[in-house]
Amino acid sequence: MLLELDGLTRRFGGLVAVDRVSMKVAEGEVRAVIGPNGAGKSTLFNLITGVIKPSDGTVRFAGEGLTGLSVPRICQRGIARTFQLTALFPEMTARENVRLAAQAREPRHWRFLGGGAIFAKAGKRADSALELLGLTGVADRLAGVLSHGDQRLLEIAMALVQNPRLLLLDEPTQGLSVEETAHAVETLAALLGHGNMTVLLVEHDMEVVFQLADKITVLHRGAVIADGSPQTIRDDTEVQRAYLGGLS
Amino acid sequence: MLALAPFALPLYAMTLLTEALILGLFAMSLDLMVGYTRLLSFGHAAAFGFGAYASGWLLLHTQISMLCAVPLAALLAGIVAIGVAWVCTYATGVSFSMLTLAFAQLLYAIAFKWTSVTGGSDGLAGIPRRPGPFGFAAFGSRAGFYYLTLIALTAAFAFCRALVHSPFGAVLRGIRENEAKTLALGYNTRLYKIAVVALAYALGGLAGALYAPFAGFANTELVFWLFSGQVLIMVIVGGSGTLIGPILGAAFFLVVEHQLSNYTEAWALFFGLIFIAFVIFAPEGIWGLLTARFGRAGGETR
Repeated sequence: MLLELDGLTRRFGGLVAVDRVSMKVAEGEVRAVIGPNGAGKSTLFNLITGVIKPSDGTVRFAGEGLTGLSVPRICQRGIARTFQLTALFPEMTARENVRLAAQAREPRHWRFLGGGAIFAKAGKRADSALELLGLTGVADRLAGVLSHGDQRLLEIAMALVQNPRLLLLDEPTQGLSVEETAHAVETLAALLGHGNMTVLLVEHDMEVVFQLADKITVLHRGAVIADGSPQTIRDDTEVQRAYLGGLS
Repeated sequence: MLALAPFALPLYAMTLLTEALILGLFAMSLDLMVGYTRLLSFGHAAAFGFGAYASGWLLLHTQISMLCAVPLAALLAGIVAIGVAWVCTYATGVSFSMLTLAFAQLLYAIAFKWTSVTGGSDGLAGIPRRPGPFGFAAFGSRAGFYYLTLIALTAAFAFCRALVHSPFGAVLRGIRENEAKTLALGYNTRLYKIAVVALAYALGGLAGALYAPFAGFANTELVFWLFSGQVLIMVIVGGSGTLIGPILGAAFFLVVEHQLSNYTEAWALFFGLIFIAFVIFAPEGIWGLLTARFGRAGGETR
């Protein structure tokens, strides 16, 4: 198992945002985490990446515990993420954004004299990541002026260029138009289709989830209420009551 | 052009120009923090004052030459800054700025009270420009000291320019634009911030270390918060995040101070108005206006 969560719990005062979540994600699997607003999905991501510390329980990645490690250390172990609200460097070009992400994986990336070789290597990797996501045409434009759809894709490019063993995608189609969503899903499906990357995907759009995910975990009020293949989840009555049916 | 200045200018103008170069170096060092990392320091006078007192003390109480005392003082300022930055970077935003101010005021109190070393309210006076090593005295004269300052500023500028265009500088820009994202990409942003503060203090300390033998004295005014505010104004008026802008801003500040104080005691009031005008109408500063006027890409050195 690449990622193992065991009894993961996070309390904010009286609120239990994540409640004894246990799950196992195998290498190469695309796992979707779904649930209504406030179900604890983003908190779960923040727990895995070390942004917040768990009140209880453990996160194991590739057989090693991540508890207590800082955000950059956890990232260096091979976990990359995107944010629910697009997080970019708006005054840098798209290429510079991706290059900075790639640079973090170069040895001695902190060098300040004679860093040309680092830039050249990171830049080359950035260019291929941009191409992969169809962003070559906007590579030299400032990230802050790109369309929202391109910004979402750019953030994915920044995560991919780090060659993560585990990729966390927090609502990649959030705020996109129907056409942009279709384009993003098509791009993602092509990327994930090779089956050599493990992905944890938070998503509201059920169409997207059923197209991309191998397995689905359903959160409700911080706790796991169902776990299984897309078909099982579709048929699960409790899930339908909590999430799929009526309201959505 | 600057290299030929001693042959063309009257003596008082040479003195003013040397002071402008020293303040330019000081303002440029702050730009590393303010313009490139968005670390707003309200206490950068601490770097200048520390450098001035350190080089002044070394020149008064030891036998080492000016050419050794000045870099040594700058190095000491950088080392002390590591400790200061270690504490200040526990906080972010306004709290960070307040901590830098607190450390500067702490240094001010020390400079005021530790009379046996700092001379208290009198400061250190009669600081010599001791020649050497090997009896090398050329930098002691008025023109010689000007050249020494010019060399220091040019070298520091070349260093800063290389720094901000390096992989290290790219991470600083990342911190400036989105620190949480930089952290999530796997960079230990706190170490980068400590490093840039140490470099900024070392270069600010270098400016102060040059000032002590230039003026012949070091006093508590050089550590006072007013001076911290003035250097911040120089950076912003000149154009932050451009390196060259703050150097121009320092020169501008000095000239305006010089001219206005001939007419009125309340020159600071008028400079305040100029500052407000810049913030509202030309937030890119003097360098921003120049680059826009002459059609070069704005902020070319970014």
